[in-house]
Parts: sequence; structure tokens; C-alpha cells
Amino acid sequence: MEPPGKNADTYTVRDRFRKSWLPIAAAVGAFAGFVSAAFQLRPDAKPVSGGAPRAAEPFAPQQSSGQPTLDYELQYSKSVVIGPPGSAHQFQRSLLGVAVGPKDEIYVLGEDEIKVFDSGGGFLRSWKVLQGAYCFTVTADGRVYVGALGKIEIYNRVGIWSGGFPAGEADKPAAITALKIFRNEVLAADADARYIRRFDQNGRQLGVIGIRNNTGNFMLPNRWLDFDIDSNGLVTATDTGRHLVTAWALDGSPVSSFGKFGMTDPAHFVGCCNPVNLALTPDGKVVTAEKMVARVKVYEPGGRLMAVIGPENFDPACTHIYLAVDSTGRILAADPVRRTITGFSQANKVGRSQPLTSEASPMDSQKREEFNIL
Amino acid sequence: MSEKSTRRKFIDRSARIAGFVGIGATAGVLARRVSGDHVYQVDPFKCTACDKCRTSCVLSFSAVKAVNDFEKCGYCMLCPAYFDVTSFPDEKGIPSGKVCPQDALKRRVVGKEDPDDPNNNYYEYVIDEERCDGCGKCVKACKPPAGNGSLRLEIRYARCVECNECAIKVACPDQAIIRVKTPGMAPTESPDETKVL
Amino acid sequence: MRRRFSRGQLRFIAPGRVRFLLVALAVFAASVLYAQYQRTPPDFGESYSFPTPTHPEPDSAWIHSLDILMLVAGLGLAAWLVLKRRSRNGVMMLSIGALAYFGFYRKGCICPIGAIQNVTLCLADSSYLISIGVIAFFFLPLVAALLFGRVFCSGVCPLGALQDMVLLWPKKVPQKLDRALRWLPYVYLALAVMFAGWGLHMKLGSWEIRAARRFLICEWDPFIGLFRLSGPFYMLAIGAGLILLGMFFGRPYCRWLCPYGGILSLLSRFSWKNVQITPDKELDCGLCAEACPYGAIRELRADRATCLSCARCYDSCPRHHELRKEALVQVKPS
Repeated sequence: MEPPGKNADTYTVRDRFRKSWLPIAAAVGAFAGFVSAAFQLRPDAKPVSGGAPRAAEPFAPQQSSGQPTLDYELQYSKSVVIGPPGSAHQFQRSLLGVAVGPKDEIYVLGEDEIKVFDSGGGFLRSWKVLQGAYCFTVTADGRVYVGALGKIEIYNRVGIWSGGFPAGEADKPAAITALKIFRNEVLAADADARYIRRFDQNGRQLGVIGIRNNTGNFMLPNRWLDFDIDSNGLVTATDTGRHLVTAWALDGSPVSSFGKFGMTDPAHFVGCCNPVNLALTPDGKVVTAEKMVARVKVYEPGGRLMAVIGPENFDPACTHIYLAVDSTGRILAADPVRRTITGFSQANKVGRSQPLTSEASPMDSQKREEFNIL
Repeated sequence: MSEKSTRRKFIDRSARIAGFVGIGATAGVLARRVSGDHVYQVDPFKCTACDKCRTSCVLSFSAVKAVNDFEKCGYCMLCPAYFDVTSFPDEKGIPSGKVCPQDALKRRVVGKEDPDDPNNNYYEYVIDEERCDGCGKCVKACKPPAGNGSLRLEIRYARCVECNECAIKVACPDQAIIRVKTPGMAPTESPDETKVL
Repeated sequence: MRRRFSRGQLRFIAPGRVRFLLVALAVFAASVLYAQYQRTPPDFGESYSFPTPTHPEPDSAWIHSLDILMLVAGLGLAAWLVLKRRSRNGVMMLSIGALAYFGFYRKGCICPIGAIQNVTLCLADSSYLISIGVIAFFFLPLVAALLFGRVFCSGVCPLGALQDMVLLWPKKVPQKLDRALRWLPYVYLALAVMFAGWGLHMKLGSWEIRAARRFLICEWDPFIGLFRLSGPFYMLAIGAGLILLGMFFGRPYCRWLCPYGGILSLLSRFSWKNVQITPDKELDCGLCAEACPYGAIRELRADRATCLSCARCYDSCPRHHELRKEALVQVKPS
């Protein structure tokens, strides 16, 4: 370090440090760096402080666990299950909808196919439909209308394609998420435009339902619009963003609505966008399905809660529970995660549940065997 | 200056040649498996928002932030990632608690506003990256079925120092940190379609 | 080897367009596959336009090419400074520059020491890919070692540069201890290779250890916490400890821990050109051996395996200074 020849005795400590300023400075700098890293003294090393106002009394929704539903006026119990794991007609990939056809036959849409089961759950027939179908409905004479992005296709009762028409405009195709037939009109829910379109049998649009709102059409954060129509032509539709069940006349004028957001009262709708699916019973009661707390509820038309089919019956990851009601009032709920369709029939008010048989007609032994295979 | 014996020189030269040949051969083998630039990114389909992104990053203020995919977002009034839906509701029925501990999720009304009924409005949700620490509570709350799944955790390359081995990847219990080609967009399609339903 | 710069070039030609295309492609793919949920969002009317989510891009391709260029330049410059110019000041300047660029600017990553792991992993598992930068960073200093000795250690490695800079009062380590400690880098190398390529599966009767693949070198890098100014406490503590040690026992990590140094010392034994302390005559004064803080001078010759090419020995050689003075006198017209 010292140049050769220099006398070591005259080399003072000060001289040494004058020569060694660089290593000292480097060492000091390195230690400072380590200390600042250890204490995270960099300006961007810590998030801007400031927490959120926390709830004073946090509480959880009350009715999410398997509480008995004895408090409600109506009781439901399982009466048929279609497509459980291991069954011959299990849906492998997807389950997208359920509807009731003539003679209370159960029609199911899944993996680009429509499968038809009788009311006891016995498989009858199936046929392929177009890819990308979202929803469908069955007329009283067994014709099937299938809705997809921008079009509606019609199949006859044995499954032969027999026509169709486009829905929506070329640049804004209708995202059809629900279909119903009323007299000679085809009603299609368009979740992109956020109203219900009315077509005649040839595909000519007659009008829309749902645009006379305060601020523009249905609010659909989950991009799905479901509705049903009763025998008088009253349309009941879901308005998920507003947590409402809304009723409209066919000409588009609003009639009534009920529902509100709430996490604790079972009569309210949980989460951000509910109810996700809806169906009407033959006597006019409204059946709703919710996600986040996967359950099915039955309301009177005025909004009074009549029954709850609790979340223990459905997979908690469901984002939809497709609904259909047959002529006996049995509710068919399609669980797209477990890919099963469960029928819930009304049980006695006392709470005794019926044995696992179909309520519609006494089953003969052959049908019972078919059911067991399922 | 020392004189090396010729034997020593021979050993040196042959060892050098052997060294070059070895280097060349190994480099050749490796060169056949060269890829383009790859960076680390969070796979939103595997991520379970476990909070390890916040704590495992080598940077004390993690390079992982939540981002909102506006195409998927529902613009809900009652965003389950913004509001703690299990908290006590105020007189209007809106939950009083928030999910984000850092208050990093900002909301504002968009579109036509109804001043009387907040239920009638759409809200835009944006994350303030100066506050977000990557804990993932909002991401967990937005996952289906509660939400649309538009919020996801993402490695922000303006902050990421691009380590050779991502420390979050080592800690992640779901193997959700994957390598993607630059520019580092997270995968947009779920590998299992039925999961969406 | 021609590197495919197509993506980098594309970004130069049409940066905005490529990014938009990727985002549009992603959105399209998402909308097709998420048929039920991800169609057109509602139009909020009025003047609302969707905010474009920002996606800050990672370092573009050209910075990795720049790194390779700087590495080549640094190695070449170090070789010239050590072997031709024989300048301690030059080597010191170069090492400060390397510390600034490879250390603090590039945050010490990617480095050849860590590249051992990438190369091991790529060779052990054929499903893994490797980048050109890693290949260059691993092999170029090895080539330089075969040619010129450990010039990487002298002026290019940021870890070495940092330790070299804090060397205040070098003490000699007893030779036996030094020789024993010089086995440690190979132990570390073996552990790093094993963990990077395969992980650890050990069974001893009923007692079993299973550890997944890890990059040990990256996890125990002593100075990267300083370069990033952030890190877990144990890494910062080890780094500070090595700096403290390095103030008195020159370059402890380089001599006794660095696995890449172990590889370099094996290769530099056969280097084509190596450090020659005196330019012509040997004076047998032994001042170089006194001056060398790393104990790399054996029998008044630079030991090629351990010499870190720091050029301090030139500074202490009287013959070197005599020749310098003569050269100056010749130039001056007096």
C-alpha cells in the first residue's frame, strides 16, 4: 500500500486515513445502505397509510348454514335428481338451462345438447343444438326455441332444426339469456342491450320491455337477464344490479317491483347482483335463485317470502341456478357446478318431507327402476 | 519472468482447448433451448389471494398490485370487493365497512347519475397503486360467485426488479406465479371452461 | 449466434399498435370464451370512456442486449488494464463503474453466479428454457478466464467491486487456513447445483427430507439487499457482516464462498495470458507479496488460481515504477 522506499515510522495514522478515504467512505455507505434497507427507509418502501372505516358491529348473514326451514309457510323437499355423478346421463362439461315441456317432461340444455327426461327422471331422448347456446324454452306443443348470441333457433319436437331468425342488430347482436313463448310472440331477454325484446314468429321485432326506468334499462352487473311470463301476459324480470324483481306489462309499462339488498334478512337479496334467475309457478308465485349464498326462494307476487330452499342443496360456487316450474308446482333447479337438476316438491306444512318419489303420478315399478339407475 | 517448461505449456494448451470445447458444447446444447424474453406474472386462475404476494416479495413494498379488468367489471353499486358485505349496514342499507385495509380501491359514479337513489348508478372502481400493497383481499372478494372476477393480482413491472428466481414464486402455495413472454400479460383464458360455470 | 430481436424491433417500429393488438387479442379471446359473462359491458351513455388499464412493460429486449455488451466491454477493458496497461487506478475505476452499472443500476440481477443455477436447471430438466442473456453471462467470463485469468473478478463483478472498495487494512490470513477455506466455494457450488437442478430428497431409515428446487445462490446473495435497498433481515445482516470482514480480510466472499469463483479458479489455472508482476527483471524484493491482500502471490509469482487481477502488485513493484519514470523521462524533452 505504501510506495516502496517510504519510511514506515513517519507514516502517521492521519496519513493512513487520508490514503484510505475511499474504503472508509465505501464501507460507511454500504452500512448506511444496509441499515436503510433493514428499516425500509426508502420513500416508496411503505404504502401510504390510511385504513378504511371498519364496521362497528360486524355480523355475518344469519341464514347461510343449514337452518331448518320450518318457519316458512311452504316447505320443499327433494323429489328427483337428474344427472348425479355416476349416472348414465351425467353432464360432463356444462349445464346451461332447464325448462318444462308438455306432460311435465324435463328438458335440459347442456354441452350443446338438449336432453329430455320424463317427470320421474327417466331419460327419453336427446339431440344436438348449435354451439354457444345460452338458454332455451319449450312451447306447449314441444317445440324448442334456443337462444344464442345474436340469434334464435327453433327445433321441432323430435329435435329437427326447423328455422330461426337473427335477434338484435348486426353491430349489436342480442345476448339472449332467457326465452319465453307467449301466444304467438317470442320474448327474448337481451343482456347486452339490457331489455327484453318481443318478436313475432317470423322474427320481426314488435317492441321492447324494460326501458322505462329512471336511469336506463335493467342494471345487470353480472351480464344476465332472466324473466318469466304468466298466463295473463305479465312479465316478471330480474333487475340484478338493483336487487329487484320487476313486473311489466307486454307493452313495456312497469307494473310493480319488490326486493332489496340485505345480507341478514332471508327475504332480501344478498351480494352485489341478485336474484340471478327467476321462474313463475302456475299459481303466480315467484321463484328466485341467488348466487353467493346459493339458494332458491319462493315469494308471493307482492314480495312476501314464502319458502327458502337453502344453500345446503347447491354448490356454493354457483353463479346461476337455472329454474323451471312444472304444472304441479314442482321447482326444478339446475346446479351448473355439480351439473345436476334437482326437483323440489311442496311438502306438508307440518314439515314432514315426502319420500323420494315423483309427486305427479304414482310410479310404476319400471319407472322406479329407471330412477334408481339415475 | 519465469520460463515454463514445454510440458507445462502443453498441459496448459490442451487444458485450454478442452475448456473451450467444453464451453462451446455446453453453450451449444443450451442454445437449442433458448426462449424469448420471459417475465414472471400472476396466473389469475390459480391465484387464491392468500396474502403471500404482499409479504414474500424481495421489495418491502411488494411489486404485486391489484388491477381491475374493466371489461369484466360489473360496475356494481354494491361491489363486494369494495364494501365488506358482512358489515353493519347504514340507514340506506349500504354496508358500512370496507374490504381494503389500505383504502386503495377508489370508486366514483359513472354514466347518468341518479342523485336520489344510489342503487340506480354504475360505479367505476380503480386501484390506487400508491396505497395497494398486494394483499389480495379485494381479489378474493371479487371471485365468482360473489363478483365477476374482474379484480386480479398482477406483477407491476415498473416496480418489479425481475429477480432470477421470484421469491413470491417460491412462497406461493398454488404455483400461481408463472413465466409469460414479454410484455407480460396475464393469461386471459381459464384452462378449464367448465370452471366458469 | 443471431438473437431474434423481432419483438424488440416491433416495439420500436409500432409500439402502440403492437400493445393494442395484444390487448385487443386478449379481450377478443376473453369475450369468445367467457361467452356468458364477458360480452360488451353496459354503455353508460354520456361521455364515459373505458379507462385503459395500464400495464407497465418490463425491461425491453434491448436493455438485456446492452447488458451483454457492457459485460463484453468490461471484460475486455479489464483484461487490457490488468495485462497491458498494468494500472491499479484503471482497474479501480473500472470496478467502481461496474458496481454502479451492474450493481446499483441493474440491481445485481442477472449475474453469472446466479446463472450457474439457470444453466443447471436447463441441463437437468429439458422442459426448461433459458435466455440468451443468461447463456452469455455464464459463459463469457469463463472464456475470459481461459484467456486472461480472473479478469471478471477484477473489474466487472459488482460483488467483488464492493468488497474491493471497502478494503481498509488488509491482514494476512495464515496460509493453512486460507487453503482450507478455499474448499468452501466448491461445497457451495455442489449444494447450489443440487438444489437448482433437483432439489433434495434424502432418506435415512424412517427420517426423510424433501425440499423442492430452489435457487440457493439467489436466496443467500450477500449484497443484493444493498443493491435493491430492500430485503429480508438475514440477507442484510450477512451482507453487512461480509463488508465488515472485508474491511480487514480482503474479499472474503470472493475467496472463500463464491461458487462461480470456484469455477473461475479452476479454469484460470490454464489461462493463456496471466498477471506478470514485474515487467522485466525480478528483484526478489518480495514487496508484491506484501502488497497482495489476497495472498495470491506464491514464490513471488501470481498464483493464477487465486489471483483476482486487482493490479495492486504492480503498484508495489519497484521495477514497474522505475520503468514508468524512465518512460516519462524519455518523453519529456529535457
